[in-house]
Amino acid sequence: MKRIIWRNFDFWLFGAAIFLSIFGIMMIQSAIAGNVNLEQAVSRQPLYLAGGTVLMLIMAAIDYHYWGSLARFIYIFAIASLIVIYVVGEVSYGSARWLDTGVIMIQPSEIVKILMIMVLADYFAKNYDKPHDMKWIIQSFLMTFGVVIWILLQPNLSTSIVIMVIWAALLWISGLPLKYLLILGIVGLVLIAAAFPLLEDYQRGRILNFIFPDPEASYGDTYNVEQALITIGSGGLLGQGYGQGTQVQLRFLKVRHTDFIFSAMAEEFGFVGTMVVMLLIVFVIWRCLEVGRSASDLYGSLIAYAYAAMLFFQAAVNIGVNLNVVPVSGLPLPFVSYGGSSLLSTILGIGLVESVSLRKGNIS
Amino acid sequence: MNNAKGNKPVIDKWRIRFIYILIAIVFGFYTLKLFTVQIINGNYYLEQSEDNRTNEINIQTERGIIMDRNGVVLARNVASYNVTITPADLPGDPTVNPLPGAIQEIYRELSPLIDIPVSNGVLNDDTVKLFTPCYTDFGIAEIVIIQDTNAPYTAVNVACDIDKETAMIISEKATDWPGVGIKIEPIREYPTGDMTSEIIGFLGPIPATQEEYYREEGFVTDRDKVGYAGVESTLNDILAGKNGKRVVEVDVAGKEIRDLEPPVDPIPGNNVKLTIDTRLQAATKAALIGEIQWWNRYFNTIRSSNGVAIAVNPKTGEVLAMVSYPTFENNRMAKYIPAYYYNQLLADPLTPLFNHAISAEHPPGSVFKLSTAIGVMNEGVVTPNQSLTCPGKITITEKYSPNDPGYEREYVCYDELGHGQVSYTRAIALSCDIYFYKVGGGYAGEVDEGLGIDRLAEYAKALSYGQATGIELPGEAEGLIPTSAWKRINMSENWSTGDTYIAAMGQGYVLSTALQVVESAAIIANDGVYMQPTLVREVLDSDGNVIQSFTPKVKWDITKDPLITVFDENGIATEEKKTVAPWVIDLTQEGMRKVVADTEGTAHNYLNNIIINGKEIPVAGKTGTAEYCDNVAQEKGLCIPGSWPTHSWFVGYAPYDDPEIAVVAFVYNGGEGASVAGPIARKVFEAYFELKAIDAGEPEVVEEIE
Repeated sequence: MKRIIWRNFDFWLFGAAIFLSIFGIMMIQSAIAGNVNLEQAVSRQPLYLAGGTVLMLIMAAIDYHYWGSLARFIYIFAIASLIVIYVVGEVSYGSARWLDTGVIMIQPSEIVKILMIMVLADYFAKNYDKPHDMKWIIQSFLMTFGVVIWILLQPNLSTSIVIMVIWAALLWISGLPLKYLLILGIVGLVLIAAAFPLLEDYQRGRILNFIFPDPEASYGDTYNVEQALITIGSGGLLGQGYGQGTQVQLRFLKVRHTDFIFSAMAEEFGFVGTMVVMLLIVFVIWRCLEVGRSASDLYGSLIAYAYAAMLFFQAAVNIGVNLNVVPVSGLPLPFVSYGGSSLLSTILGIGLVESVSLRKGNIS
Repeated sequence: MNNAKGNKPVIDKWRIRFIYILIAIVFGFYTLKLFTVQIINGNYYLEQSEDNRTNEINIQTERGIIMDRNGVVLARNVASYNVTITPADLPGDPTVNPLPGAIQEIYRELSPLIDIPVSNGVLNDDTVKLFTPCYTDFGIAEIVIIQDTNAPYTAVNVACDIDKETAMIISEKATDWPGVGIKIEPIREYPTGDMTSEIIGFLGPIPATQEEYYREEGFVTDRDKVGYAGVESTLNDILAGKNGKRVVEVDVAGKEIRDLEPPVDPIPGNNVKLTIDTRLQAATKAALIGEIQWWNRYFNTIRSSNGVAIAVNPKTGEVLAMVSYPTFENNRMAKYIPAYYYNQLLADPLTPLFNHAISAEHPPGSVFKLSTAIGVMNEGVVTPNQSLTCPGKITITEKYSPNDPGYEREYVCYDELGHGQVSYTRAIALSCDIYFYKVGGGYAGEVDEGLGIDRLAEYAKALSYGQATGIELPGEAEGLIPTSAWKRINMSENWSTGDTYIAAMGQGYVLSTALQVVESAAIIANDGVYMQPTLVREVLDSDGNVIQSFTPKVKWDITKDPLITVFDENGIATEEKKTVAPWVIDLTQEGMRKVVADTEGTAHNYLNNIIINGKEIPVAGKTGTAEYCDNVAQEKGLCIPGSWPTHSWFVGYAPYDDPEIAVVAFVYNGGEGASVAGPIARKVFEAYFELKAIDAGEPEVVEEIE
């Protein structure tokens, strides 16, 4: 067992994460723009943050090695929680993604992201000394896919991709030989090509529309991204002011409290404000990577790296969508976007990383 | 790795460094992109966002109404009731299938009231593209779905121009049927319809060629209408008013948030009171159509296809009635111009869209002798009491130049027995052709030098011929008064002596509109003063205050304004101009009175002895039986030399001693002037003086029926 040294608690990481989350709540308040239906739902976000912060501190206090030893149970629990929602899940936006716990609505797939960090980091740490061969790759892939398949079937492509990215990042950090990387790359491309016809119509449409913008495209197809660009652009250097962005407040910008909250923020706070938030997100990622570097053992490092990779991927995709350089996908901007489960999982992840940080440089 | 004690395996540093580089590249690129969008292209996007939220609303103004001189409404705006649905206000989502029960119920109850099915047609890109409210086969549900995707907070017309009772029923249901409403749109109505359509005209959509002009004036091209004919067209600027404007901030659903600029209220158009007396118009129309139809029935063929009757006040220039037959029903153009009806009017050989009163040019025939007569007296070609012999026919040498030996040609009077010795006034009364040949072109032994065409033209023009009168109607024709120069230029031929003889009696090249003919008589009746003919009596603002009252305008006075060019002995125009001596006009008036009063006068049998309320109304006038040979007559093979078809003319005024009305009646291919046009004019005179008596409150004298 390791002794907790609270001096090692990364206050910068904690502070930045909490700051971003509070900023997110504020931004969501502005982004609901008088929509009565949203107002009720959005008032829960502070509760999620408060609850999440408590859970985060508990998470930090718990030695992460416990999770390593419980990996098998966590893995089974993750799959079980995903299967349960097919039985008792709530249907929303055409997909069975929600679990009504009676107190709060939970998206198990969001929590599973953190659980998979624990499980996969454990696998790669334990198998670090074994040969990094095809078996190693396929075993870890099957392990990951055993969970992802249930999310994919919801269907929730973006969260599935996030978990696959966590797997890929851990492969990379654990020393994936470059020749396998090449093979994986090719196989990946072939699989994507093969899977393309299996995608939902709207997903195919989004991707095609992004790669080959149709000049004749109907208004609806490109409306959201076009409005996002207009929204960002109209912010200028210093923005139109909090609650003053016309694109946001008059609701020309759609899904502005979740997928396009970056655009909303860009309009109201301008280039300067947006850069501050973007740099804060980079700062959080950097602190996580630092925790990974200084962790006392491989398991801790991998947890921190995997979490950093997940944050980076989500933030990059979300901002990319807003700037119209990535096809539209439903990934939230970490800490900022509305979404209780998403915030909860992100904050829990911070707790996990803090747990690693607290135990760096100490030998039992 | 570093101080990780022993048990921590080493992670390749370069693999982590790679992640750092990846982060730097991605966020570096995003920073660049953000800078481009917000700073470099910021203004472009800001403009687009301004464009998103600002909406300019054009508020339709109300067109002025048109009344007759007594305030009888001739054109007004009536409400057209449209049933609208605002999708966002419906109780539920109108796009889901099946529809929410509350919406279904509304649709089901509304459908039979407006006779539009609840659901009809298939929505796809093509059908939606063609969708136009009011002109669609879609059912209610489809119309609402289309509107919901376009502008859910804006009402869409579901049924148009429904009757008032249904509109009342629906507006009473408004509280039970959220989202359903009644929109009132103004459409033009002409209570007097085809009785006044040749004067009033009609409205139509803004023509594509003038779109830019009207848009700059604040008109909305597919909503606002402009005059297409009649005073609706010429007085458009007075009647149209000015649309109002609001610049509002709207949200994404089109809901108005606030005014961005102070709103500009619409300025309603001005109302116009015309000089027309609707009652006289009705009587005039009835007289003209009745006469034409009587003769058509009598000959059992459409002998006369068109005709004109105009009444003006010679002292003020006011047009009291103007009838062009046939005409059109302008109420059928009220909401939109139905293509089949418009094409039918265009294709009609009787040209109902054409205002015969001002746009048709015909030979005036003997009514033109008034111009010759005044010229002859004023130029001293003969003296008033000098009598010329009318033997029934004379032989005159047709010459194209003074030295041309020419050839002999016979000219006949309409009465081949001749009229014996004819003086000036008797010549007018009898309309003696031989007299006018002789004074017009000269006749060796009796009239050394005739009036000649160039001098005749001067007098004709002074009597309003050969130029537009400037009445407030579109498409006025100028007519034609030939001169020797005109013929050389246009016909490449010298003016011949024979041309003068026939021009002197309003034949040959001479063409005129009916309005010019009535004005020539009005000028004589008004002792030489030409009053500007007009249809506009007063312009009133929308509250009824007179903003332009009627002041008669003198166009010219032939006894005071030197209008007549003086020609020297060689027939060359000089700089000098002269007036017409008042006694010439007095004498001509006497002649015109004799036309009616003398038993031998051409119109005596038709216009003498008009007695209204026991008082005789003395009429003066002139008949005309104008030979013509136009393409219609040629096609029918009517142009037999020596026996051409004739138009009937009568022009006159009353009372002779103090004229207040001048009337022209014209019947195309009507035959004799006196017997066809005369009775029409008589009825107009009778109607006018009867109406005058009624207006003055004189008790009606009931005559015993014989």
